[in-house]
Amino acid sequence: MSNSKNTILSLRNVKKHFPIKEGVFQNVVGQVHAVDGVSFDIGAGETVGLVGESGCGKTTIGRCVSGLEPLTDGDIFFDLTPEKLVALEDFEKHQSEIKNKYLIDEIQSTSNISKIEGDDFYNYRRNCQMVFQDSFSSLSPRQLVSDIVSRPLKIHKVCADNELIPRTIELLEQVGLGKQHLYRFPHQFSGGQRQRISIARALALDPKLIVLDEPTSALDVSVQAQILNLLHDLQKQRGLSYLFITHNLSVIRHMADKIVVMYLGKVVEAGKTEDIFANPQHPYTKALLAASPDLSEDVMSDMAALDGPIPDPARPPQGCSFRTRCPVSRTECGWEVDDIIRRLEHHETLIDSIKSVHQPDAFNAKLTFETSLSAIELKDVVGTKDIPKQMRKAIKKIEVKGNDVNISFDPVQTVPLVQSENGSLSRCVLANK
Amino acid sequence: MKKNAQNAGIDEVNFYDSAFNVRLKRNLEILSNVLANPTTVLGLIIVILMLAMAIFAPVITEPNTPDPYQMPRDWKAARSAPLTPGHILGTTNRGGDVFYGVVWGARTSLKLSILVVSLTVVLGVIIGSVAGIVGGKVDEILMRIVDVFLSIPELIFALAIAAILGPSFTNIILALVIVFWVKYARIMRAQVIRIKQREYVDAAKIMGASKLQIYLKDILPNSFSPVMVQATLDMGNIVLVGATLSFIGLSEAGIAEWGVLVSEGQAGISAGRWWASTFPGLMVFLWALAFNLVGDGLRDVLDPRTETKR
Repeated sequence: MSNSKNTILSLRNVKKHFPIKEGVFQNVVGQVHAVDGVSFDIGAGETVGLVGESGCGKTTIGRCVSGLEPLTDGDIFFDLTPEKLVALEDFEKHQSEIKNKYLIDEIQSTSNISKIEGDDFYNYRRNCQMVFQDSFSSLSPRQLVSDIVSRPLKIHKVCADNELIPRTIELLEQVGLGKQHLYRFPHQFSGGQRQRISIARALALDPKLIVLDEPTSALDVSVQAQILNLLHDLQKQRGLSYLFITHNLSVIRHMADKIVVMYLGKVVEAGKTEDIFANPQHPYTKALLAASPDLSEDVMSDMAALDGPIPDPARPPQGCSFRTRCPVSRTECGWEVDDIIRRLEHHETLIDSIKSVHQPDAFNAKLTFETSLSAIELKDVVGTKDIPKQMRKAIKKIEVKGNDVNISFDPVQTVPLVQSENGSLSRCVLANK
Repeated sequence: MKKNAQNAGIDEVNFYDSAFNVRLKRNLEILSNVLANPTTVLGLIIVILMLAMAIFAPVITEPNTPDPYQMPRDWKAARSAPLTPGHILGTTNRGGDVFYGVVWGARTSLKLSILVVSLTVVLGVIIGSVAGIVGGKVDEILMRIVDVFLSIPELIFALAIAAILGPSFTNIILALVIVFWVKYARIMRAQVIRIKQREYVDAAKIMGASKLQIYLKDILPNSFSPVMVQATLDMGNIVLVGATLSFIGLSEAGIAEWGVLVSEGQAGISAGRWWASTFPGLMVFLWALAFNLVGDGLRDVLDPRTETKR
């Protein structure tokens, strides 16, 4: 994007962890890492597509951006001028030597949505609206369309009371409805029309950014196209920015300027839409593209559908989080002890005979079995084809001592997001070379 | 052109309907759905007759002075059978006019049920909403208290409380309030938890609506219908339980109340004087039946599952 435009939204290392509570006293027993260090920018008038499978944290990001969920860590900046963005990036690179201290302070106090309060936050509310997936649930069944669409106008006292209805009609007309729909209840409309009402409500305050959380996935394909065209036209007319959350790749290709692919709370690939569709770098992106039936380009024909479950986000894998399902995994992907335990699913007797697990960190463990025979069996199993070759190679040490088995791997850092040859960012050991 | 295609799906009949008309139409629609069920209509007719009797009690019978809620005593005509001149439904052992008791008993019952229902609904809705909205430990504590209340059968619980407080009509009201609020707290909590996860609540938050606005405009209206159904059913139940307590003697003696009247006529039953207990008993039965029929009818129409999709 050109440098003269503002950056509407800038996510910096955003983290959202949900506590897992148990028992009568609601003790926190763990954290679900729903979003784990996500950074990307949305420019003015730009559409950024956020893709990933269910449970990858894309909706959580949408909710964080719209201010529904407080962040665990990280920052979301709103509406940064190019100078401010440069200053911010500078500040991140050289934390110690701050050149533009006053500018950083100004950014923190006026643009950081988790720090601004009062009128500034109210102002942010006006500028960031959201359209939800389920239009049945996003429109109150007891309110008339006129109430629903004019409500934001009332809350923010945008116009006088006698102008409310004309403004509401105007908004309805912009989304392809009319004044004959003013006094109806939401259940009297079809899914596509209800989604139009949602869009009218989101437009009411003339926002700069709209978070679209799978706005079309509950609709018929023909209606989907209508809604997408409407969104497209509105963007052109009003210079809106969209954060488009979806799992539908053909929709994202149609809509987005940039794509952010997420997996298990982390960005695995980010870049321009055409780059990612033409030359995906990360194996997960490749798998997603291959799994999409209407994109029958044979580039991805060697990528089979992903098997295996998504790892538990309360205990995300170390190193590369995708390696447990990755068809092209390597020795250096960051294997850990949990992987061996996951692979023992088919050996129930072996799992049952584990007496205790002493695990000082993710890469070292001492498994104690009931009999030394089981210990030896484990070592044998690890040597067989049940365990992928890359993983076997990654094991640094596996030794049997009586009933105990000591296993250790080389510790690996989280794989960083790096620039790959096509200009997009990718989080994969293969792209690092 | 695109617009026309969009509008084609919806009939153009009510082009300039005002919001008020649309709301009225919807309420009439709900009412006509309620009236579509013959048993509900039967219940409604009985309810209306009962209410009319309660409201026009001073017109139907001459109010007793100084306190119209006290039964008039005609000691000379005690134990007279129904259709005696001046005492259409006969009198009790102690000369109380059964007809007066039946008519003014409706007024007492109405007073009792409306007072108890409104107090319990307010109390239950407030506590249930707090538990549902605040959640966490507050919810946990409030709901354990509710569990304790719910673990005791309501009649026995009300009896125990009324007995502790001492026999008086006010104490019956108090006992019933203490027993009946828990149901509303439970229902309201469940509803609030269900509704606050709806996306329209999120949408209101994103708009910048205050918490109070969200509660009053989004959560409360959408979670109130089960409370209304329960309140209608309880209008009947409360009179039933209240009459039971009066019958046992936990109410003030001699007041015009169906339970008191049944207990007063009880002694005469073995001697063949059936009327003093039968008529007020029948009234309790009809009152409870009627409100249960109406409540059931309301539940069918206001069922949250049929609310949005039809």
